[in-house]
Amino acid sequence: MTNKTVYISGVGIISPLGSGLADTENALRENRTAISSLNLFPLLQGAPLPVGQVKTLEESNLPRTHRLALHAARQAADGCTSPPDAIVLGTTTGGILTTEQLLRKAEHQKEPYRHHGLNTVANVIADELRITGPALVVSTACSSGAVAIGIGLKMLRCGQAQTVLVGGADSLSRLTYFGFHSLQLVDRNGCKPLDYNRQGMAVAEGAGMLLLTTKKPKQVVAKLLGAGITCDAYHPASPHPQGQGAFMAMQKAIMDAGLEAKDIDYINLHGTGTPDNDLAESKAIHKLFAYPPLLSSIKGAFGHSLAAAGAIEAVVSTLTVSKDLVPGNTGLQNIDADLGLSPLRDPVTQPSSIVLSNSFGFGGNNGALVIGSAETQCSHVYHQAPEGLAIHGYSCLTGAGSTASSLNRMKSGGAVSGMAAIETISENLPQKLIRRLKRLPRMTLSLAQGAHDASGFEKQKPEAVFMGSSWGALSETHDFLTRLNESEERFPSPTDFVGSVHNGPASQVAIMFGATGPNITCSGGDYSFEQAVCAAELMLDDSTQSAFILGADEGHETFSSLLDSSIARGSSLADGGAGLYVNRSRAHAKCYFSLPFYKSCECEDVMAELITSLGKKTKKLDNYVLVLAGIPASMQELGEAQLKKFIALTKLFAPVIPYRQLTGQFGSASAVAATLAASCIDAEHIPGSLVEGSDITIYPTDKILVLGLGKYITAMEFSRP
Amino acid sequence: MSELTEELKNKLVDILNLPKERLENFDENGQLVGGELGIDSIDVLEMVVMVEKDYGIVINNQEVGQKVFSSLANLADYIRENSTNTST
Repeated sequence: MTNKTVYISGVGIISPLGSGLADTENALRENRTAISSLNLFPLLQGAPLPVGQVKTLEESNLPRTHRLALHAARQAADGCTSPPDAIVLGTTTGGILTTEQLLRKAEHQKEPYRHHGLNTVANVIADELRITGPALVVSTACSSGAVAIGIGLKMLRCGQAQTVLVGGADSLSRLTYFGFHSLQLVDRNGCKPLDYNRQGMAVAEGAGMLLLTTKKPKQVVAKLLGAGITCDAYHPASPHPQGQGAFMAMQKAIMDAGLEAKDIDYINLHGTGTPDNDLAESKAIHKLFAYPPLLSSIKGAFGHSLAAAGAIEAVVSTLTVSKDLVPGNTGLQNIDADLGLSPLRDPVTQPSSIVLSNSFGFGGNNGALVIGSAETQCSHVYHQAPEGLAIHGYSCLTGAGSTASSLNRMKSGGAVSGMAAIETISENLPQKLIRRLKRLPRMTLSLAQGAHDASGFEKQKPEAVFMGSSWGALSETHDFLTRLNESEERFPSPTDFVGSVHNGPASQVAIMFGATGPNITCSGGDYSFEQAVCAAELMLDDSTQSAFILGADEGHETFSSLLDSSIARGSSLADGGAGLYVNRSRAHAKCYFSLPFYKSCECEDVMAELITSLGKKTKKLDNYVLVLAGIPASMQELGEAQLKKFIALTKLFAPVIPYRQLTGQFGSASAVAATLAASCIDAEHIPGSLVEGSDITIYPTDKILVLGLGKYITAMEFSRP
Repeated sequence: MSELTEELKNKLVDILNLPKERLENFDENGQLVGGELGIDSIDVLEMVVMVEKDYGIVINNQEVGQKVFSSLANLADYIRENSTNTST
């Protein structure tokens, strides 16, 4: 058990209201809106809609989201004497604004697209601030920032890190500007949350970053007291009409902080200004609070900066608890009586110790945070979850087809690279459910269904979903941008926009299985599946909960070779992924596994650290019977050198299989390797044909190691339960 | 059933990826949204785009939208009343 206090020791913010805390505080005290007509990029049709656009930002060769994130990160880490142990960042846009421009120019070279991936936003910050621990990227639509902060909180409480940089960043882009417009969710007259005449949101941009630490800093800005992460499991784009998921997120966050609803002094609402969101949120608040405290939405001032919103609002919450600034509901004229709430029209100066900050997103992904003043006493005691997860069911999809075909072929030493037919990846799914879904969500649903069918828990619902995808839904993103361009920006597709969000596939899984617990999608480049495992180990804290851990990527004719540096132009594409059904109970499990190591290759003596980390319990490494090594083609030389060093340092005798030779090159190939490892452990046997030698029996103390090599070094250990 | 209704059925099969055989026998006065076809708010927006693109009619008001998309017959009527592009 642990009762670690988590301090906020630094904050950074850049938004349409300005850069830094002082600008933000002044603008909020003046109740000023920064929403104005878009001029970031030219439009082919009609008058520009109102947006929240950052006015001044440093130029560089990085995409805009990266620059926003870096700007806020530098502020948050200012004065920090040593690099943070890890970074957890929420983003939905990554380098898409740059990619949109490149596609319009029909750029065929790979190099200009190198910052497209969401992971690159965290990586540029990690590189600049010399962060060598995990750089987790969370993409849960408009709750991303809040969810990233919630994950950082868990990392600190469990002792995995002592200082973590957390936050969110998103830039304006054509995808989000036209996407939200196509859903008729944008108010042409600016944004006025909770107003009787509200007609929607204003898409915005910005970044918010917070430095969290368990080491008491000289200057405490505020304390992060609790987080609640849930999923509506209701609809890909509409909130639950009764605000059920929102209610659960707020309730969990307050409980996590060891508090009761009556302790909350102020609620910083999600309050997007769309009719449905504000109504659902008001219902959730009435369910939780007999007498709601002071509350307001600041999106009438900032607009809705998507993944940045939760982080920006967390930064504003620190102003509330440290500077007595309770923000007004900018833009509000006539309160919507149906909401039954009394939002603050104007800011007030009033001491407030504890703030609840809400963020809800597409896919019904909800995150709520509780932030307290420096003086707040935190007495809540947290139960530490055991390390590792028990696998009860597993599945995979590859070019060879379903789980059985893929595993059989790999075990006989054959390659499974390629892309399965769309009919194969859809065969265990009801037609009605997949009507609107393209390749990645279909693969994801099929993997979840397969893992669940194999789990022996057919009648039990999983509570949580953890998903890793390097590139997200490429087909939907491509089709959205293509139709936008072909129609000269007149007819963007609402269906493709909803499908293009990275968390779309995982939220479809939640809807199919009624999974209302944490629903977290990570996008960590070639280490996306490992990031999903990391999130699952941290967030699946209730020993009775079960979850899916999924990893999948689709091969896309146009995008794969442009975006993925491991895929050569003109080469045949491979894709697929894997699913695991897990909980914390070893009883009747097929396999047990954990992720004991995740560090940047920039870390000094990283291989020695890896070996120390793997050997710290057993004091020896000779119980490995198989090593599956993941070397992305773009880092072949580096990866091979790392592997050679690992083998030399450990004096390893076990066979080593560079598994991408079997799976082909795609981001979440490590998920397939994980299922292969789990399947061998389950059978207590490694066929000789797989290792080009004799059959190997797996004894109770034996382990299979799945290594990730290249820019990051990761290790997953699989053993008998 | 009018030619326009038939045309709309084909368009819905195409843009909403609905099974052709289910729409062929679908009652033009039957509930279009939230009914047995599984059409929801996102599909409605996709139909809004189709109506604008193919018939030049803009629907950007929720109240009007609810009425227009309540059935195929109402959708066809609305297009007939407001269209300058079709003679059906």
